[in-house]
Amino acid sequence: MILIKCPYCGERDQSEFANGGEAHVVRPQNPENLSDKDWGEYVFFRNNPKGIFYERWVHSHGCKKWFNVVRNTSTDQILKVYKVNEKRPDLTEFENTLRSPSGEPSVGSGNFAVKK
Amino acid sequence: MTAINNECPYISKNKITFSFDGKTFPAFEGDTVASALLRNNIRLVGRSFKYHRPRGIYTCGIEEPNALVQILSEHNEPNTRATVKRIYDGIKISSQNRWPSLKFDLGAINNILSPIFSAGFYYKTFMGPKGFWKNIYEPLIRKSAGLGKPPKNFRSKSIHQYHNTDIVIIGGGLSGLIAARKFINTKYKVLLIEQDSFLGGILKNTNKVESINDNSPSEWIKETEDLLSNSTNITVLKNTLVTTYNFTNHLVALEDKFSGKKIDLNKSELTLHKIRTSQTILSNGHIERFISFRNNDLPGVMLASSFEKYIHRYGVVPEEKPVIFTNNSSTFSLLKSIISLGCKPQAYIDSRRKDEIESEIKKFLKTNNILSYFDAEVEGCDGNKKIEKITVRQGKNYYKINSSMLCVSGGFNPDIHLFTQSKGLVKWDKQIASFKPDTSFQKTVTLGSVSGNYNFKKLCDEIDEKLSFLKTKKLNFEIKLNVSNKFSVKELWETKKKNNSNWSKTFIDLHNDVTTKDLKQAITEGFDRIEHLKRYTTNSMGTDQGKISSINSLAIVSKLLKKEISEVGTTTYRPPYAPLSFAAIAGRSTYEFYDPERKTSIHSWHLKNNAVFEDVGQWKRPWYFKAYNNETMHQAVQRESKILRESAGILDGSTLGKIEIKGRDALEFMNLMYTNAFTKMKPMTSRYALMLGEDGMIKDDGIICKINDQHFIATTTSSGAPKVLADMEEYLQTEWPHLKVYLNSITEQFSTFNISGPKTRDIMTRVFPNIDFSNEAFPFMTFKNFDYQNTKIRIMRASFTGELGYEIYISPKYGLELWKKIFSCGKAFNLIPYGTETMHLLRAEKGYIVIGQETDGTVTPIDLNYNWMIGKNKRDFIGKRSLSRPDTARDDRKQLVGLSPINKSDTIEEGQHIVEINKLPNKIKNPIKYLGHVSSSYHSPNLNQSIGLAMIKGGNNLLGQKFFVTVSGKTQNIPVEIVNPVFIDPENKRLTS
Repeated sequence: MILIKCPYCGERDQSEFANGGEAHVVRPQNPENLSDKDWGEYVFFRNNPKGIFYERWVHSHGCKKWFNVVRNTSTDQILKVYKVNEKRPDLTEFENTLRSPSGEPSVGSGNFAVKK
Repeated sequence: MTAINNECPYISKNKITFSFDGKTFPAFEGDTVASALLRNNIRLVGRSFKYHRPRGIYTCGIEEPNALVQILSEHNEPNTRATVKRIYDGIKISSQNRWPSLKFDLGAINNILSPIFSAGFYYKTFMGPKGFWKNIYEPLIRKSAGLGKPPKNFRSKSIHQYHNTDIVIIGGGLSGLIAARKFINTKYKVLLIEQDSFLGGILKNTNKVESINDNSPSEWIKETEDLLSNSTNITVLKNTLVTTYNFTNHLVALEDKFSGKKIDLNKSELTLHKIRTSQTILSNGHIERFISFRNNDLPGVMLASSFEKYIHRYGVVPEEKPVIFTNNSSTFSLLKSIISLGCKPQAYIDSRRKDEIESEIKKFLKTNNILSYFDAEVEGCDGNKKIEKITVRQGKNYYKINSSMLCVSGGFNPDIHLFTQSKGLVKWDKQIASFKPDTSFQKTVTLGSVSGNYNFKKLCDEIDEKLSFLKTKKLNFEIKLNVSNKFSVKELWETKKKNNSNWSKTFIDLHNDVTTKDLKQAITEGFDRIEHLKRYTTNSMGTDQGKISSINSLAIVSKLLKKEISEVGTTTYRPPYAPLSFAAIAGRSTYEFYDPERKTSIHSWHLKNNAVFEDVGQWKRPWYFKAYNNETMHQAVQRESKILRESAGILDGSTLGKIEIKGRDALEFMNLMYTNAFTKMKPMTSRYALMLGEDGMIKDDGIICKINDQHFIATTTSSGAPKVLADMEEYLQTEWPHLKVYLNSITEQFSTFNISGPKTRDIMTRVFPNIDFSNEAFPFMTFKNFDYQNTKIRIMRASFTGELGYEIYISPKYGLELWKKIFSCGKAFNLIPYGTETMHLLRAEKGYIVIGQETDGTVTPIDLNYNWMIGKNKRDFIGKRSLSRPDTARDDRKQLVGLSPINKSDTIEEGQHIVEINKLPNKIKNPIKYLGHVSSSYHSPNLNQSIGLAMIKGGNNLLGQKFFVTVSGKTQNIPVEIVNPVFIDPENKRLTS
């Protein structure tokens, strides 16, 4: 259970929120002009990186507002919370944040508990 | 023989009795099950998991792998640690996993058969023949697996409690208490958590510490407790075990509120504490580990520090003349304790060379004339259900010693479980021959022995330094010791075996009966990764999670693999630290508190009129109404359906979701959310509408009422309402924030009645004499608002049965009154109440779909031939683009059709397959061509035959053809004809008349 700081209500337990997947995936303005492949990309494909991820959350058991979060998926650390209408923060902002608990590789699972 | 330590200040003098396996014994208040048994010289307390070997008490705490008992009092709690459970007067306890008795257990035959029970036994043995797994192996394994018996008829009242705090100190031992004293009267909110019923830890477990600031340890503990309880910023939780250390310093701890007391069934017996803290201080100490030797599981083998604990904490000396076997300096205090009580160890065996052993130990052994073996090891021990003889090897010589108890110490492991749960990294420390915390991942500090510091003299400095970043007082205590401050240990994990026998075994995991031989065999078979090895052998997978043995197994494996221990690594430590009862996790969310129940304003009337209820989401909806006591569901539904089509019926539709959509751009928003076109729709009319996902699949349906372009009311399915509202909100906030639209859930603001049937107009005219219900004044799919007595009502002409019908919306406050009035007016027309089952039957006769029955997230409007509902001229709506994707536009997608059995008396079943062959072969060798499935099926009383709706591949082109529907458990299929799904009134005459 992580703590999430709703930009409207403040810090709350994760159980009050629902995750909405990748952020900044904009619904195409003119779907009819898109090829089947491009439309399929929009409907079915999302990124799922290990590390820094821009994602959407909704305070579903609270103010019901949607907002964006930058989270490190390998540590569950929340690096930034910002409103839907705010600018997407640059990746360089998070370059110096801790990457993973044990410095494991950028792909794959890492359960190494022993320091080498 | 057992002896008593009368000096023990911690055990009460109040005598109590308890019973074990039916016999009653005396004990003292404050005893655990284990200390009480040892007090009565009982050493055989259970049988092991796999081989049913006799087992005794191995430890004195949470790490116990053997002494698990069933508490017969209270609620029959199984697998209780005898070393933790504190007893009270009259408690009844029994041993586990034995039949017919503890002393004579038939399951012990497994021990003789043990060659076949080696590592991977289940994977290798229960392979075939086919069917044996389900009918023979699984029931057999299930019967013999596990240890105790589950509790019965017990309803836990455990609760959850939440904390937000600055500092959590885990462990109220010496370092935990010093740390806590630093926070007295500071601005920090502190929670001190101790798993035992008292504070003090090592101060009470040993006599290693002589004094602190010239006070005796017990005086110092008393002083500390007083200071802590007088400090307003510190809370102490005793009998509370931290089981989980999550991300963001979130801790879960279980408090046993009836430790040492009989459970009061009217009170909550457990509290699960959920704690968020800014900083965690781990001072949870260390756990002693054992050494593997031949028959290291015999009752009588005990960890040395546990033996010491029984002496000092419970005043029980488990044996007057034990043998001590060690590889480190910690056993010196045990030696001294035994001698000071007037007892004498039978022998002292140290695996270290003579020059490695501290001179004070050697001197003490000599002065007290104790038989000593240096540079020696215990080869094994033998005996019948207890130790009788111990074999010692020194060089090439073997010595036999007669004794019934053997104290073993293989060194100490810092208890890194919680630290690694927090994702901190550990490191191998050669000095202490164990893993110790290295890098914290969260805001975690480790103090004292959990950090690998076994040096009492340096403790205060360590605590001061590690907590220097916090604003606390500097404290210095002068700690005087009874024994040398130095800790030295020599790695020893397994001793060499002299000879083999089937009975003799060298265990690495006592709980799961894993031997060192199993480890070796698994490695030979290629399981050279520690995580694989653990699962294959089940090593350290018992309820004790290998607390006294897992580091030993890593060491043995690393030797076999010829690797460094840090290269082999540890297995992952996962919560919980110790078993956590499901009752505690569930808390109050059980039975009627598990999920809210929603009831309509008419619920009381339904109850009085013999409704049988169905759960729809959280709603209780009448399923059918019993006309007489033994009317079956089938009879009731057939009766209700027939009467409705002849006269009239009324359904409580209050559960249908209702969403109000208001605002400048409401029309544009509705055009985007639903497939239908709302622009040309006239105000005060309504329309059946579909909502799709972006993938083009049907998500929900409902009737949309248009009041004007800025105001709509949408109804949804009963269980889909929250999701539909959430989806609408999501689009509004994230995709179309420029649209000025406001959404509001109004489901509970209205009671809704659906009245339908040919006599409906007559009834409505009687109920509302001032309203003109004629077809011209009130056509199909229109609605109107009226004043009705002191309130307002809305009436809409709509129907889900295919008959003439109206929906009435009224404030729930007046709902029941109006419902009753409708019945008094409807009596003359044979008006009946009907439930959801009849509703489903009637709509199936009419070919109407139900979301979640005909649709399953893979059905488009085109698959249902609902093309007329798609606003083709709309530029865009959710899911529109997907309808022209090649896969969605295929001709051979499953499409909605009706089924009619060729033999009218046949009944088809919902969910059955539709195939081309009339009979299935007895043995199916090749796949049978599958065309689709039956989505709805009912016996229609109005057509007097079975009817069905089905989703069939390319169904639209199959009308009039003959296929077959399978029958469960039979090979003979039912022949059916594919027909139009609308069975009744395809011209909509009844609906619109």
